Amino acid sequence: MTQELVAPTTPLPIAAEVERACAGLPDADPRRVGAAADLAEAARQAASLVVTDPVYSTVAARLLARSIAEETGPVTFAESVAAAYAEGLLNERTAAFVAGSAAGLNALVDHDADDRFTYFGLRTVYDRYLLRHPETRRVLERPQHFLLRVACGLADSVSEAAELYGLMSRLAYLPSSPTLFNSGAARPQLSSCFLLDSPRDELEAIYERYGQVARLSKYAGGIGISWSRVRSRGSLIRGTNGLANGIVPWLRTLDASVAAVNQGGRRKGAACVYLEPWHADVEEFLELRDNTGEDARRTHNLNLANWVPDEFMRRVEADEVWSLFDPKEVPELVDLWGEEFDVAYRAAEAEGRFVRQLPARRLYGAMMRTLAQTGNGWMTFKDAANRACNQTAEPGNVVHLSNLCTEILEVTSDGETAVCNLGSINLAAHVTGDGVDWAALRTTARTAVRFLDRTIDRGFYPTPEAAEANRRWRPVGLGVMGLADVFFRLRLPFDSPEALALSTRIAEEIALAAYGESATLAAAYGPHPSYDRTRAARGVLHPDHWPDAAPVHPEEWDALRDWIGQVGLRNSLLVAIAPTATIASIAGCFECIEPQVSNVFKRETLSGEFLQINTYLVADLKERGLWTPRVRDAIKRADGSVQGVEELPDDLRALYRTAWELPQKALIDLAAARTPYIDQSQSLNLFMASPTIGKLSSMYAYAWRSGLKTTYYLRSRPATRIAQTTVTSDTEAVFCSLENPETCEACQ
Amino acid sequence: MTLLDPGMDLTLRPMRYPDFYDRFRAAIRNTWTVEEVDLHSDLADLARLTPEELHLVNRLVAFFATGDTIVANNLVLNLYAHLNAPEARLYLSRQLFEEAVHVQFYLTLLDTYLPDHDERVRAFAAVENIPSIRDKAEFCFRWIDSLGELRQLRTRADRRAFLLNLICFAACIEGLFFYGAFAYVYWLRSRGLLSGLASGTNWVFRDESMHMEFAFSVVDTVRAEEPELFDEELAGQVTAMLEEAVAAELAFAHDLCGDGLPGMSAEDMHTYLRYVADQRLARLGMPPRYGAENPFAFMELQDVQELSNFFERRVSAYQVAVEGTVSLDEAF
Repeated sequence: MTQELVAPTTPLPIAAEVERACAGLPDADPRRVGAAADLAEAARQAASLVVTDPVYSTVAARLLARSIAEETGPVTFAESVAAAYAEGLLNERTAAFVAGSAAGLNALVDHDADDRFTYFGLRTVYDRYLLRHPETRRVLERPQHFLLRVACGLADSVSEAAELYGLMSRLAYLPSSPTLFNSGAARPQLSSCFLLDSPRDELEAIYERYGQVARLSKYAGGIGISWSRVRSRGSLIRGTNGLANGIVPWLRTLDASVAAVNQGGRRKGAACVYLEPWHADVEEFLELRDNTGEDARRTHNLNLANWVPDEFMRRVEADEVWSLFDPKEVPELVDLWGEEFDVAYRAAEAEGRFVRQLPARRLYGAMMRTLAQTGNGWMTFKDAANRACNQTAEPGNVVHLSNLCTEILEVTSDGETAVCNLGSINLAAHVTGDGVDWAALRTTARTAVRFLDRTIDRGFYPTPEAAEANRRWRPVGLGVMGLADVFFRLRLPFDSPEALALSTRIAEEIALAAYGESATLAAAYGPHPSYDRTRAARGVLHPDHWPDAAPVHPEEWDALRDWIGQVGLRNSLLVAIAPTATIASIAGCFECIEPQVSNVFKRETLSGEFLQINTYLVADLKERGLWTPRVRDAIKRADGSVQGVEELPDDLRALYRTAWELPQKALIDLAAARTPYIDQSQSLNLFMASPTIGKLSSMYAYAWRSGLKTTYYLRSRPATRIAQTTVTSDTEAVFCSLENPETCEACQ
Repeated sequence: MTLLDPGMDLTLRPMRYPDFYDRFRAAIRNTWTVEEVDLHSDLADLARLTPEELHLVNRLVAFFATGDTIVANNLVLNLYAHLNAPEARLYLSRQLFEEAVHVQFYLTLLDTYLPDHDERVRAFAAVENIPSIRDKAEFCFRWIDSLGELRQLRTRADRRAFLLNLICFAACIEGLFFYGAFAYVYWLRSRGLLSGLASGTNWVFRDESMHMEFAFSVVDTVRAEEPELFDEELAGQVTAMLEEAVAAELAFAHDLCGDGLPGMSAEDMHTYLRYVADQRLARLGMPPRYGAENPFAFMELQDVQELSNFFERRVSAYQVAVEGTVSLDEAF
């Protein structure tokens, strides 16, 4: 590590800076980076060459790092924190901690670690995460200052700060965006997601919920909210003797409210509404995102999710009838799951309390149509979500919904808004030559859990309902990113048995370490206040619900169960796999547990569009002398597929299949196999280039039968596409492409 | 019977040109509406543009204000009249709808970007008052009128005149004027500006690409049916027409860029236009005219699939109109 005492060297002429940025990179040619007026422009120029060689991402990142250093001027870590504190951006505790240990903390800063960033990663950090002066808008800190500041917001000592900063500067672990944005800040809202129970079926309760959503949204939290308790269209309103308009007008108001609240000026608010499919307004609900029809019955900003009980799926399978109810008439269904739900549902049905009935498959088909047309209307499974949840041991504690990204499953009630603090391990940083470094992975997981637990106490909660619930349950969500990187590094096709075994073991090792650390914390600070109400307190840990899971370390689980029996757990829930869209960009790895979407793709974010190339593929192509303009064009023309690159051996073509080319069954199987070790859930996207109702209904029925708790977006492709402008047109040659599957055998 | 034979063919079974029908159906699956585009986020960007950038944006908006209406007019006056196959007319009907959506999009853009009523009026008058826009419009009008009062394509000369009109609107207007305009939008986007305009443009761009492809596919069909229409003279006329379009668009670029903006100059745009023109010629099976390379790295981005961060923006990749019925044992 370099001591941070020297002032940055005097800026060199731009051309010399470009030379320097290319140093040690044999494939980077400084002459190709055109003339530029300043470092930032030179960085952009270099970045535009990424399509010709990904090495220019490093060149561009180095130039951007120099540009940032120029912008901050010579400043040490402690000085940058003092300046930000003086501007009112940081809280007193963090400022005092840093001032008190200035020398020790300054010595931790390793600016050379900037070299690990890709251009897109560093650009994201620069555009959105570095603290800026309120008036001049100049950045006040350099990237490593930012990471150390995040650590100091959570640490109690220099050695603690060093531990967390070390993980982050190696990009081995990153907390979620709210923690990165706000750790140490004047208002440290550190939580990623909030889950609100459905408003009670009355006017005041509905407006109270809008207020809560707005306050939570303001501090950059994603919102999940159920609407299943609100009466359906045509229901009698006693007070006025009128008839209710149903849930759509309420959701329109919610839509407008969510769009109006801009999250700290950083991104638009976002929310997902959950509805159970027995609600009599479910069909209108499924049309909320359509771009046809009456705009007065559309919500363009809300995400939609179906909270599906097993009974519905069973009736779909058996092709039976399904009854729709008004929750005002049948209020009991919302708070029941499993057999109790089945009994209550059938009783209400037998008593004729339904609004109307329809074939279950017709409603299921409508759900599939919504998924295909909008990607929305996520399928999440109420009974699977409740059955193994550590928080649902006692009756009355019910998981009513998931969150904005379908990886959080926590109980809610009228007075309890569930909260989750998240962070993700970059698996790519834990691969050694021929496998995963299990010891390092466990160490990372333990440190991560300790600091996730710390966020619960350091965080600012925008509403008392959220503060109360988080204090009581102390849930955290430790996740992963870069699983696809691991598979590429170890040369395991996504659908191979080896990939399945490895992915499952990763989940098990992380769960073991996370539970172990939470028990250690409980031994020191006591179990979380509602520990007695959990399944763990009854001797049942999450994997125990899967007797066939065959863990790699059964004896460790037995020992852990015994120890937890003695000391309890500090956290009611520990593992959740979040989508990691932004932090995976910062870490420069593939997102969470996802396969790659394309070998060449464009990422659109608020800070612009960026090209990303699969660097593993490029390395393999270079090794074979195949990284040529012709092959590059062919890959672009085939929308990032390499199946038409015949010079590439079969095994590599299999390795570099995209999400569109992989059997989706493999994605579901991987997710199902890791489910025993995921005590919350996982953001599982599914991909289908040209969806049909038949294929979708088979796929989601399979996902349900496999025991998945939740699924996330259905991603499909546009029916027509932009004519490519930068590849030479070659209409004669037929390239493998999902757009013309009839002419392509490689992908079938 | 060939595609350009005069008449009002009504027969869809057997279908002579299933490719046109497939394009019609694919277009329907990509329906989008102006209400889905969030232009409001652009207002903050507009407030911080330099005077030079603002000038460029204003000119661009003025061009967009009338561009698609002109294309729609030619479609009705010439293309629909002479493409004698009901499946081709189905596609054209759909294209006409898309042009209408584009007109609505650019009207909404103009109303959002220009709060002042008089400025809005001036933007629509640009087609008469601003030379760089007027010249492009006159180029279009001249080609709209090139078929004159021709009611039926009887002679070889009639058909060649029609082909030139078709190629002009595909290769020069949708395929060059619009492509030039889109490049400015993506240039702004690459600098983190006006993402609302860019997201709407993604959709317009996708539609325009399909219009162009349809027109070229008509050209391919006619070439197969009446190869004698295609000779050196036609190639010469097409090249001359493209040269004229490049010149008009270059004058527009000089007006927009002045002495140049960071990463965008009339000179670069000139190279880009020549590059695009070569692409059009290649698609038509004609030799390249310029041998230019694409100078705009940010346009590379438009060629690869997007992976949006769903928190941040709406993806433009979903389809409408899905087929099939529920079944539980299909392969997926």
